[in-house]
Amino acid sequence: MPRGSENPFPDDDAATRGGWGRDHLRVIRDSAHFVSANLGTSLLVWLLVGIALALPAGLYLLERNLQDLSAAWDGRPGLSIYMDLGIDVAEVETLKTRLAAQAHVASVLVTLPDAALREFQAYSGLGDTLDMLSGNPLPASLRVILDSDAGASDLEALAALAGASPGVHEVVEEKTWLARVKDISTIVRRLSMVLAVLFGVGAVLVTASSVRLAIEARLEELRVQKLVGATDAQIRRPFLYFGAIYGAGGALVALMLISTTLLFIEGPLTSLFSSYGSELQLIGFDPAFLVVLLVLGGVLGVLGAVLSASQRIVALEIH
Amino acid sequence: MGYIELHGVTKRYSNGFEALRDLNVEFGAGSMTFLTGHSGAGKSTFLRMLLRLEDVTRGQLLVNGVNVTQLSKRQLPFYRRHIGAVFQDHHLLAGRSVFDNVATPLRVIGMPEKDIARRVRAALQRVGLLAKEKLLPLYLSTGEQQRVGIARAVVNRPRILLADEPTGNLDPDLSRDIMALFEQFNQVGTTVIVASHDRELIEASGRRIIELAAGRIVSDTPAMSVDMAVCDAPISTEEQWRAQGI
Repeated sequence: MPRGSENPFPDDDAATRGGWGRDHLRVIRDSAHFVSANLGTSLLVWLLVGIALALPAGLYLLERNLQDLSAAWDGRPGLSIYMDLGIDVAEVETLKTRLAAQAHVASVLVTLPDAALREFQAYSGLGDTLDMLSGNPLPASLRVILDSDAGASDLEALAALAGASPGVHEVVEEKTWLARVKDISTIVRRLSMVLAVLFGVGAVLVTASSVRLAIEARLEELRVQKLVGATDAQIRRPFLYFGAIYGAGGALVALMLISTTLLFIEGPLTSLFSSYGSELQLIGFDPAFLVVLLVLGGVLGVLGAVLSASQRIVALEIH
Repeated sequence: MGYIELHGVTKRYSNGFEALRDLNVEFGAGSMTFLTGHSGAGKSTFLRMLLRLEDVTRGQLLVNGVNVTQLSKRQLPFYRRHIGAVFQDHHLLAGRSVFDNVATPLRVIGMPEKDIARRVRAALQRVGLLAKEKLLPLYLSTGEQQRVGIARAVVNRPRILLADEPTGNLDPDLSRDIMALFEQFNQVGTTVIVASHDRELIEASGRRIIELAAGRIVSDTPAMSVDMAVCDAPISTEEQWRAQGI
């Protein structure tokens, strides 16, 4: 509240200098005391908020690790284009040039029928049988490799372009398992966003309900405070601290739940990765993640408290 | 010019009931006045309106020249800090000690704890309850609870002291003790308004008596002597409160 002309009833400056900071310190002390004095209720609130935060936070970690996994993989999506039999090499080269000029195309490899036959003979072990054929049954083919930024729509557009080109017999889209991992990663990301919103709202509502109960338990005290000249901000203040304590405490519980889950699945995950010749390296569960989750929990808690306290305190009547 | 002035003040509730009707009255600085009348006459509404717990429907309510009906929501708490209020049902916090109850107004203004301790103990000393500062209100008699309420009302050195039926639950001896406290606090220049239906007690005081009936002033009996009127006396100051030990 501004002092002086704007406030016709100012406080005694000498008596109240530094009062704002003192009030905050006192409220923090009182709030911590209230939370510890009602430990059963506080633990329940922390657990509820913790569960609400753990699922989206855990999905976020999963999504980060899937992304990391796909980024580390050197396979890329591409196209295999099979030309008509007996087509002229010049036409194959024309198509190669045209495809190489398209966006997201990293490289185009041409395999002419003779080379294809030699490869097939070498890998299949059917060399003698193939020698008995009167001509080469294999067509010329092109292998188009896309860059890492290419999405499914780029792949489809390129396939359509190739399919419409003269002399092309068949186009096969090669969605590698990497592309599937990317799809799964996108699903997990979107799912975690939806769940983050839903469970975030849940955390806010849990805190709001708990703060509402704390307000109801202290209604008489709030009335007296209002009677002796407490501002709405002063009356609201302890409940904002409750919200912050409940939210940050819930985030701590969420961290404990996540780390317990990671410990629980570490064994089978390590085994799965080693079967693919890889080493398990979980990323994302780092100090920055801990800080962000704690701050986020605190902010959600304060939000719930604001929601609850503002409504109730505005309607506070002194009888 | 009075310290508190009401000009054509009317209070009408949303159901159409008029609790106060066209009141025109002044209270001098440092005066002590009794409001009397039957239940429902408008005494409590009058005091609640002075505290701005009720809005004024029509008219002007001036305190020290400021029209308090026009104070914003943000200014109201600062106005209330200059008023001490005592109620029949004390409004004490059952879970807080006597000390903490009395300290509430000082904590609201953000006073340092060491100053709070000094002022609270001075106020408790004044009402004779220093020895019981650590007790919960539950362990006090009704008269003692009322005195805790009075200590809380005066601990912030108010300019105005309002009391709504402060002796309502007390026997005659205790009532006289409570009234004596109000007289003491009035002597430091605090403007005191006490609502009471105890005619015998208030007539014995010799102070100004305003009688309300159906929300109107039906009589305004001046104080029996000039000393008791104390109109236009200096407004209570820090020094005067210190002289009282608070």
